[in-house]
Amino acid sequence: MSKRSSDRVSALLEGQSIDRVPVFPFTLGFCARNVGYPIASIYSDAHKSFQAQLWTQEMYGYDGWPQYGYASYGAWEFGAEIRFPTGDWEQAPAYERPPVQSEGEVETLKLPDVKTTGMIPLAMEFSKMQKESGLPVTITLAGVFTIGANMCAIDKLCRWLIKNPPVVHKVLRLATEHISNVVQYWADTFGVEDTLVWIWEPSADNNIISPRQFKEFIVPYQKEAHEKILATGIKHIICHICGEQNLNLPYWAEVPFGDPGIVSFGHQVDLTTAIKFFGDTCIVAGNIDPQIIQTGTPEQVYEISQQCIEKAKHSPRGYILMSGCEVPPLSPPHNLYMIVKAVNDSGWYKRE
Amino acid sequence: MASNERTQEIMRGLYDAVVTFDEETCVKFAKAVLEEGVNPSDAIIKGLALGMEKVGSLYEKQEYFVPELLMCSDALYAALEILKPHIKVEEQATKLKVVIGTVEGDIHDIGKNLVKMMYEAAGWTVNDLGRDVKLDRFVEEIERTKADVIALSALMTTSMLAIPVVIKKIKAHNLNPTIMVGGAPLTRDIAKQYGADGYAENCGMAVQETIKALK
Repeated sequence: MSKRSSDRVSALLEGQSIDRVPVFPFTLGFCARNVGYPIASIYSDAHKSFQAQLWTQEMYGYDGWPQYGYASYGAWEFGAEIRFPTGDWEQAPAYERPPVQSEGEVETLKLPDVKTTGMIPLAMEFSKMQKESGLPVTITLAGVFTIGANMCAIDKLCRWLIKNPPVVHKVLRLATEHISNVVQYWADTFGVEDTLVWIWEPSADNNIISPRQFKEFIVPYQKEAHEKILATGIKHIICHICGEQNLNLPYWAEVPFGDPGIVSFGHQVDLTTAIKFFGDTCIVAGNIDPQIIQTGTPEQVYEISQQCIEKAKHSPRGYILMSGCEVPPLSPPHNLYMIVKAVNDSGWYKRE
Repeated sequence: MASNERTQEIMRGLYDAVVTFDEETCVKFAKAVLEEGVNPSDAIIKGLALGMEKVGSLYEKQEYFVPELLMCSDALYAALEILKPHIKVEEQATKLKVVIGTVEGDIHDIGKNLVKMMYEAAGWTVNDLGRDVKLDRFVEEIERTKADVIALSALMTTSMLAIPVVIKKIKAHNLNPTIMVGGAPLTRDIAKQYGADGYAENCGMAVQETIKALK
């Protein structure tokens, strides 16, 4: 992993003991606002994105590394037009019309050239800056169901789960192969020693799909994608199991994340439950409610951060204090400070 | 004119077809409503709406999830399309009028569409403004349609901040519809802070919570 021995997250991944719980907030648009850039620049300008994240990290003194990515991954890459966030209330890239409109179009859909499609050139530029700065190189992709949902629109994909399962399998097969192809491109370009893969999976939320659908349709492909990532020699997958996924946890536990992987959770999944399922194999991360970071008082943010630390500090493979999803860009800056303060006050490990 | 027994059979058929998301059977019974002289409003209220109430409770109990809800919605709309043109104008005038939309900055509309479906199944007239709706548009539509209810949705933590702005605008125009809010980052407490009259945690609760909040 990274040569920066001071990086607590890298040390945890290497199985070393660390002095304090790492704090690695999930900051993207927040960093742009923090340094006076438009939120869109986090997604549309690799250089500004990298700068804004690095400067913000230095300013607040948190752990981890800058990353490039967003949850609507898959739409642009398979042919849709992407819209970067420019309006007053926009947070992340979005698309108006997904690349696939009908079941018939799935049949003719081809895997894109990973070197040129969608956000990949921007992500590659970003990763080159990570490499030049001596940081771990990361590529952020969505999980197979989220990529599928962004290819076809989630309502269509949901209907096909019942009406036309073979089409869903075809979509998820394409998503799996695509993940594998992108990761191979990163492995070929940067080697595997310092390369990490992030996977975000917000669409498999149990407010949307059932655990049975998750198990039957998604797990086999997600598992295959992770196995292929690890087969390249990449050692660690960071997976953001986003939102309400309590019913899916037994099935996520069948998916390999590396040794160790990192699994991060939203506030909907209790950290004690997360440790029960993943604590022996993965570093557990999470799960400060982003809504509280945005609208709560500094005292509330501090208290909830302390509760997280108390619950998860002694997770067997380690714990990272993280927001439950992206820190909302319009959050009061002081609330981010309170997250870092909480870990500095309560996150220290006693020397053995 | 259908006998009482046959009318019951048709209502039950509509109910079952919606709950089991059997679009073909739903259409068959909707046609039977018209062909056999059953009151279409009764068929909607006592067949389709009761069916959707059951669907909502199955979602609440985590027996149904969004894929099943969407399939139920397809069956429902297939029947509504047949029955609605035959509802008498005076009956339409007495229905609750709703304006619904996902606020500006947010393109997520699956939750909003499911709430809309529940409202329509309840027999209410819904004016769906879609997604990423400019904030002033909500005010204009409430004024234009004299809506009884405005339902605002947001999925993102950033776009949820647009909701209290819309509410302020509605109040600044001295409009007084029942204001409902919903979406993943919202809670009942936040809804209250924002000045909404009601909040529904999910689409299954939407009709019930709206009725509770009605002014």
